[in-house]
Amino acid sequence: MSTGIVTTDLRKTFPVRRWQGWRRRPAAAPVPAVDGLSLRIPPGQVTGLLGLNGAGKTTTIRILSTLLRPSGGTVSVDGLDVVEHAREVRRRINVISGGERMVYDRLTARENLWYFGQLYDVPRARLRVRIGELLDLVGLTEAARLPVERYSRGMRQRLVIARGLINDPAYLLLDEPTLGLDAPIAHQLRALIAQLAADGVGVLLTSHYLAEVEQLCRHVYLIARGSLVAQGSPAQLAGQTVRRHTVRLVLAEADPSVTAALRALAVRHDAELTVDVDDEGRPRFALRHPEDLVGAVVTAVVQQGGAVAGLTVTPPTLEDAILALADPAAVAR
Amino acid sequence: MSHALRVVAAEALKQHRRLFGQPLVLFSMLLWPLLTLAATYYTVLPVMESAAAPQRWPVAADPRRLLAFLAAGALAYTFFFSLVQSAWHFSFERVSGTLEALFLSPASRMALVIGNGAAALTQNAWLFGCFAVAAATAADVLDVAHPGMYVVAAVALLVPAVAWGAFLNSLLIFSRDSAFLYTLLDDPLWFVAGVRLPLFALPVWIKVVGLAFPLTSSLVVLRGALLDRADLGDLVVPLGWLALLTVGLFGGASALLRLGEARVQRTGGLQVF
Ligand SMILES: Nc1ncnc2c1ncn2[C@@H]1O[C@H](COP(=O)(O)OP(=O)(O)OP(=O)(O)O)[C@@H](O)[C@H]1O
Ligand SMILES: [Mg+2]
Repeated sequence: MSTGIVTTDLRKTFPVRRWQGWRRRPAAAPVPAVDGLSLRIPPGQVTGLLGLNGAGKTTTIRILSTLLRPSGGTVSVDGLDVVEHAREVRRRINVISGGERMVYDRLTARENLWYFGQLYDVPRARLRVRIGELLDLVGLTEAARLPVERYSRGMRQRLVIARGLINDPAYLLLDEPTLGLDAPIAHQLRALIAQLAADGVGVLLTSHYLAEVEQLCRHVYLIARGSLVAQGSPAQLAGQTVRRHTVRLVLAEADPSVTAALRALAVRHDAELTVDVDDEGRPRFALRHPEDLVGAVVTAVVQQGGAVAGLTVTPPTLEDAILALADPAAVAR
Repeated sequence: MSHALRVVAAEALKQHRRLFGQPLVLFSMLLWPLLTLAATYYTVLPVMESAAAPQRWPVAADPRRLLAFLAAGALAYTFFFSLVQSAWHFSFERVSGTLEALFLSPASRMALVIGNGAAALTQNAWLFGCFAVAAATAADVLDVAHPGMYVVAAVALLVPAVAWGAFLNSLLIFSRDSAFLYTLLDDPLWFVAGVRLPLFALPVWIKVVGLAFPLTSSLVVLRGALLDRADLGDLVVPLGWLALLTVGLFGGASALLRLGEARVQRTGGLQVF
């Protein structure tokens, strides 16, 4: 029996129906939301799942948590198949997603946790202790007897987090859990995630905050259009693309000698140069190179007597790397 | 099994906490039935005072018995309709996102819908209280064969009602047309179930439609046992039919839950983002 969550060649295609004349018919070629994913989420560490909007992150999490049935491939949780042993799998996992849903407005925090504790069949004595611990953990002890409808968004989200921990899950699937949280609370949540992993919980994290991913994840899967495009540690992932500084320069007016000098500079450094005009018809240059060439660019322009109207430098980020890997077409633009 | 019982109890309590104290519920469960009862009584009364009516329907001869007949109808109807309301509220959990949390859990789905229906029983405890007080003050109207018939009446009302609630819950949580069903089960329900008129006064096709609703037969048993001195032998047909309906409703609920969950697992329909 293998431990961890293991997916093999996972696929999910949503049935899409379109109006065709007077009838709704299945679309000819539905696009797969998840397309042949093979991942492993081991216990005791945080695994990242990254991708642009619509890449299939939420769909993947919903399959792992039994809310969706895969159209192909398999998922096993500690050796248990998610389709065949759905109930046993549900006991072992839990999901926290951003957006403070999944709790009852009219119930208090304590009642919410009690209710979900019953659904998860947490032993009575354990549940009593657990509710107190969780309220403490998310800082809601004071507000535990207020109905949730009187909470702020951050407080609600904290309760959502506590709900996700009520069954002491062996695996925790986090779908943008820090969405809408302010900095100190997001910071606390990150500390909590790291602690859970250290205690042996297998965590899957999707997030749009790359700093969060870089800080927490030991292994990251990067997906695009439902397929894996890269994986590795955050550092490895960033290293897989050419990280480049981009120098963007706008000249006050066209000047052939400046253009020639910049072309020569690009050739000399083997840098990528694109030339076009901006909205006001002024010549615009973008120079991409592993090193920051801003000094050389400015020197070349000044030597040829050109006048600089605008200058920006963008350093490389993990975000660039992800964008480059997930959507090469967008970067070329 | 004990897990399922915990889920039933927790769900009933949650639903109770969610709905209790809502002015709307108070209105629809207390004032509305009383109002309609009064309206029906004073509408029917003049008709019954004509000489021909009591010949066909002996109850009509005595205004107090007529009132008891209508009150029993109002009680059972309010009770069954409270389950429609409860299911309607349950269907909103899909929009609020909590339904997803339920499906994420290992809790038995059947236990959830039964618990949700059972909440209506506690909601209506006071309704039975009022009815009991009214019955006690007008004890001579009641005509009961033996005390065991009270139990029969209660069981014939409560058990099919829970099955009815479980079925409706299963139907409505997966349906986008809950408002339509809500309307469909409001006025037509009291009409076809003989809430305000004796069944024999209705055309055959309505009687047939009415048989599909457990309220109809529950009401026959309730009125027979409490007002007409019927004993078990007299009520064997409606009781048998009720048992069949109950089994059918539970079976239907179970099938709907299975099919519904399989469908949302395929289409992602639980997600309402
Ligand atoms: N219930 C559904 N029915 C049909 N298509 C769906 C459904 N849910 C998701 N999709 C499609 O599946 C694809 C993947 O969506 P998914 O929500 O998994 O993306 P994501 O990576 O979580 O994006 P985001 O970063 O925006 O949260 C999208 O193209 C989306 O339109
Ligand atoms: Mg998502």
